[in-house]
Amino acid sequence: MTLKHAFKTAFTGLKTNKSRSALTVLGIVIGITSIIMIMSIGQGAQDLILSQIQGMGSKTIVIIPGRQAKTPSDFAQTLSNSLKEKDLAALQQKNNVPTLGQIMPVVIGAETLYYQGNTDQPTVFGATDLISQFFDIYPSQGNFFTDDDVKSHSEVAVIGSKVKDNLFGASNPMGETIKIKNRNFRIIGVLPSKGQVSFFNFDDSVIVPYTTAQNYLFGINYFNRIIVTADSENDINRTVDDITTTLRNSHNITDPSKDDFSIETQADLASRLSLITTILTLFLTAVAAISLVVGGIGIMNIMLVSVTERTREIGLRKSLGATGKNILFQFLLESVLLTGIGGIIGVILGTGFSFLISVILSKFLAVDWVFGFPITGAVIGILVSGIIGLIFGLYPARQAAQKSPIEALRYE
Amino acid sequence: MSFIKLENIAKSYLYGEGEVHALRGVSFSIDKGEFVAIMGPSGSGKSTLLQILGFLDKPTSGKYFFEDKISDSYSDDEIARIRNEKMGFIFQAFNLLPRTTVAENVKLPLLYSKIKENEWNTLAQKAIEQVGLTHRVNHEPSRLSGGEQQRTAIARALITNPEVIFADEPTGNLDSQSGHLVMETLQKLNEEQGRTIVLITHETHTAEHAQRIIKIFDGKIESDSIVKNRRKANDMELLK
Repeated sequence: MTLKHAFKTAFTGLKTNKSRSALTVLGIVIGITSIIMIMSIGQGAQDLILSQIQGMGSKTIVIIPGRQAKTPSDFAQTLSNSLKEKDLAALQQKNNVPTLGQIMPVVIGAETLYYQGNTDQPTVFGATDLISQFFDIYPSQGNFFTDDDVKSHSEVAVIGSKVKDNLFGASNPMGETIKIKNRNFRIIGVLPSKGQVSFFNFDDSVIVPYTTAQNYLFGINYFNRIIVTADSENDINRTVDDITTTLRNSHNITDPSKDDFSIETQADLASRLSLITTILTLFLTAVAAISLVVGGIGIMNIMLVSVTERTREIGLRKSLGATGKNILFQFLLESVLLTGIGGIIGVILGTGFSFLISVILSKFLAVDWVFGFPITGAVIGILVSGIIGLIFGLYPARQAAQKSPIEALRYE
Repeated sequence: MSFIKLENIAKSYLYGEGEVHALRGVSFSIDKGEFVAIMGPSGSGKSTLLQILGFLDKPTSGKYFFEDKISDSYSDDEIARIRNEKMGFIFQAFNLLPRTTVAENVKLPLLYSKIKENEWNTLAQKAIEQVGLTHRVNHEPSRLSGGEQQRTAIARALITNPEVIFADEPTGNLDSQSGHLVMETLQKLNEEQGRTIVLITHETHTAEHAQRIIKIFDGKIESDSIVKNRRKANDMELLK
């Protein structure tokens, strides 16, 4: 029997019982659909997180006050006050950290902004003008403050697009004065709308010189972060070591377990976060895979019924010269085709749904989501469903092959 | 040497606690080109006999020679090949595949044969022509009369050009006129093409179309005789 006719026979067999075939394969379709969706969304989430991290540049190193953070967003440690102006000075000394590129202290808080009866409560960042380089944000109107503004504790502010909309509406904010903590800040720049960048939403923020923020707004003498770049990606490890040594000296720490700061490179963060999303995706995929097994048992059940029902057909084919192998192959091919088609439908549906979700996320929720066709998932999905057809079709097909041709002669 | 030879064939089935003896020592032989009717009431063992002749079942004891070779020496695949190439089966219940055209049904044995696909249509055409169904080639069985369905089955049995046709009560489900037509076709195949035909029936009338009648009763041969006044199916048509 040629392969072409084997396929034709199997297709005819499935077509004869269209609605039953469709219902049987539903379990496989649902299983593959969910696996594809989970894999696609998992990949999307991972890409999103990684792009957020890479938004800060791969040479970036973040120094965090307090003990080693246990989770990526352990907020309690930002309250620690171990990083101060003298550390900044120590790090800036070329012989302490020779591979240091740029350095910027950051303070973060929330304050209420007032302008002519309008109020807004954005995140307040205290930084230097390097913030535009670090986060790739450049004012669409005006400019950032300068080093002189930082030194002289200038009361100037750059506002995010959402803050501008909330306080000024359509009118031009440039040169206007807003009140923060009863002090007047002059608007010298407006940021374009950019959405989430490296876990910060600068649309809903106001950026002022860090000296101004420390002294006039928050009343603190420490930093929440020090952000550093290494000269090149190859220098990252060395830079981290030098920073550690410098800060330990500056803080008189001899026991490494008593460090009152931690250092995070973008690579660390990326690998840690992608591990979490990978584990989550694998776990969910495993749950979805259970439905495939259930679907497979359904296939076996229906194939057994089908074999019993088609006893006469099997007997007839045998009396016309079909061997046991021919019959085995016919029924095996039927179940593999059935699950294979189910797998393909599942891949199409799963891809469709995850595309829909990506559209909803990016268009309606303004998440920077990129849809990716899960090629690996699609290949594995179709392969796995074919294998399920093979495994769960084997027993019914063997039953069919062993049937005696006498059955065909027996008149019912 | 005979084409088909049975030596003391017995067949018994386990049935519940007891044993049922369907055949109790049957011996006869059939030559090439013969038209033999195996006749007997229901339960006489005639169907069991046909199943053994067609390699569909194995005897409990005795020897069955097909083309001088003892049937036990054939492997399962060889048996499938013999059924495909040398034997044609016609059943009482037609056994056509539903939702499949006459042409496709007739071609079914070719799926399992070594015949090349480019010859299939010609062969099918020829077989369908022989049973006079050329006008029904693309019909599905559900749209055919009983007689036409049985003639489709005959065409299917013919397509691989078998040496012997086993017909199990081929007219059992047909009205008398369709029955005549089927018998006429079988007679024609026997006389014009010299095909061996083994017919199973319980009706004397049908059996008398053959050259020879083997009567079976209670698993044994009751008589084995040549038909003196052989019925001609086409004569019957003329008489009407």
